[in-house]
Amino acid sequence: MQAPLLSVRDLEVSFQIGGEEVPVVRDLSFDVEYGETLGIVGESGCGKSMTALAIMGLVPNPPGRISKGNILLEGVDITKASEKELQSLRGNDVSMVFQEPMTSLNPVFTVGEQIAETARTHFGLSRKEARNKAIEILRLVGIPSPEKRVDDYPHQLSGGMRQRVMIAISLICEPKLLIADEPTTALDVTVQAQIFDLFRELQEKTKTAIILITHDIGVVAEMADRVMVMYAGRNIENGPATDFIRAPQHPYTRGLISCIPTLQADPPDDPDALFEIPGVVPSAVELAKPGCAFAPRCQNVMDRCRVEFPPSAQIENNRSVSCWLAQEETV
Amino acid sequence: MVKSLSKRIGNAVILLLAVLVLNFTLIHIAPGDPVEVLAGEMGGATPELLAELHADFGLDQPFHIQLFTYLGNVLHGNLGHSFYYDKPVTELILDRMGATLLLVITALLFALLVGTALGVASAQKRNSLLSNLVTILSLAGFSAPVFWIGIMLILLLSVAVPIFPIAGMATADEPEGTFAYIFDVAQHLVLPVLTLASIYLAFYSRLSRASMLEVLESDYIRTARAKGLSRFLVVYKHALRNAVLPVVTFAGLQFAQVISGAVLVETVFAWPGLGTLAFESILRRDSPTLLGILFFSAVLVLIVNIVVDIAYRVIDPRISAK
Repeated sequence: MQAPLLSVRDLEVSFQIGGEEVPVVRDLSFDVEYGETLGIVGESGCGKSMTALAIMGLVPNPPGRISKGNILLEGVDITKASEKELQSLRGNDVSMVFQEPMTSLNPVFTVGEQIAETARTHFGLSRKEARNKAIEILRLVGIPSPEKRVDDYPHQLSGGMRQRVMIAISLICEPKLLIADEPTTALDVTVQAQIFDLFRELQEKTKTAIILITHDIGVVAEMADRVMVMYAGRNIENGPATDFIRAPQHPYTRGLISCIPTLQADPPDDPDALFEIPGVVPSAVELAKPGCAFAPRCQNVMDRCRVEFPPSAQIENNRSVSCWLAQEETV
Repeated sequence: MVKSLSKRIGNAVILLLAVLVLNFTLIHIAPGDPVEVLAGEMGGATPELLAELHADFGLDQPFHIQLFTYLGNVLHGNLGHSFYYDKPVTELILDRMGATLLLVITALLFALLVGTALGVASAQKRNSLLSNLVTILSLAGFSAPVFWIGIMLILLLSVAVPIFPIAGMATADEPEGTFAYIFDVAQHLVLPVLTLASIYLAFYSRLSRASMLEVLESDYIRTARAKGLSRFLVVYKHALRNAVLPVVTFAGLQFAQVISGAVLVETVFAWPGLGTLAFESILRRDSPTLLGILFFSAVLVLIVNIVVDIAYRVIDPRISAK
């Protein structure tokens, strides 16, 4: 079997908070195969974005750093690579689309320049060649009359158009891995659908693997081949997307799926129709306590959960879960 | 662009008229009689001579007649005649203008370039030696009065360690050749420029440091890094252009202050510019010369503001769109 494109092992990302080093991502291990789409799901603050930045080698330092583990991209360890090596990987082999299209583009350069400079940096293209390539990729991401738009500044484009420009920037060097961090959160619902169609279309053409970070279960169900659920900096469930929707194992995953409103429900008359997981995500500092991080919010909590953290256990082919209950049920 | 520019120029003309009327009125209200100063320097005069001089200068006319005569003259490009130097004011200003412009523009450019460079460099490493040095230097630059810095520089670099000339703009026996002359003037220029630039240098280094720190945290800088650009491109292409915007704004606003600062510096260093001329005209109650200098400074400030406006549009495309 071919080695995976990306292999993350025992990753820990820590931040200096009030003089103490607090891990925000811990014991995180997962693989991404060539050409597949991995969805990473979880609430805000569970470490999704930090995981993405770690893969890019862009954890803000200080105060953050990768304190343990390895990230292997085609055998190259990103945690040990020099800044120069990282620069040649970023935007070239692995690229990223950020959450906020309104602020992620530099306001004082044309979008064409911002796309073209990536190609000039990595492929050594001339200005003219890079510009033509920028026009070509703008057409590919569905921007009308790209030969005109190439000279526009970001403020002249709508949010959806800007996100297309971001996608163009991330795809111009045909990366092997594209990380999309909540790429549609800031956009209208209709535009969201267009952007996801675009991702699918482009993935078919370029065979790029995608890590799609989102808190929208619907998006994951539609887009991802495999899903990883994160809670409090850890991978708590990992498996094929179809299984994840059909038979979630971890109580947290079940909770997330129950949170999706159904068409039959009528919230104004029936407030219980909108399910919520009680409580909030614990802060990173609280997590130093032993036991399962989800225990205080879990409906099925057992005594064991409060004292001992459940290790990730394989429950089926390609499926693993970190939950004492789920493990008991499958045994 | 052209439309907004012509609007700016139209506004500038109205503003200039207001400046003229205001200055003329203020000087008219101020006590002191130029004829008496002249008479004093001549060693006395008869009342008939005083009356004759008053009539010659038009000082016996009522205020509004004097004002309208003056405005009419200025509109015809005539800034009047100096009581003291007995020369047209325009000629006096043109004679001295070069020296002041040389001083002011060199000082401002020096403050802008060096200040921004220091600020940007110190923003890269927040707690480095350079960063702390910039903070301390800018604090000192802010707090020390301009004339004090001038005198200290003279004591240090002209008296104790005689590297630079004490005062003036050129050596009395002018050296032969153009290059020798330029070098001579440049030597004389160093201390006045350092003195005049000190406070702005301090200000721009702090401003650009703060602005750079803010820009480096922004999302588009993260995007630039995620594209795999080198540290150099990220900082000097993507961050710098955004970070200099507030610096440019302030440079435009502060140009008027730099000109008034030049009056002090020219006096300390006996620099033969408009500042010394203005200072002397005040002492001698030479109101046409003073009015001329004030008018000229106002024109200069307005021109610089329009230039800054254009520069702003060039740097930030979002502005021309509005």
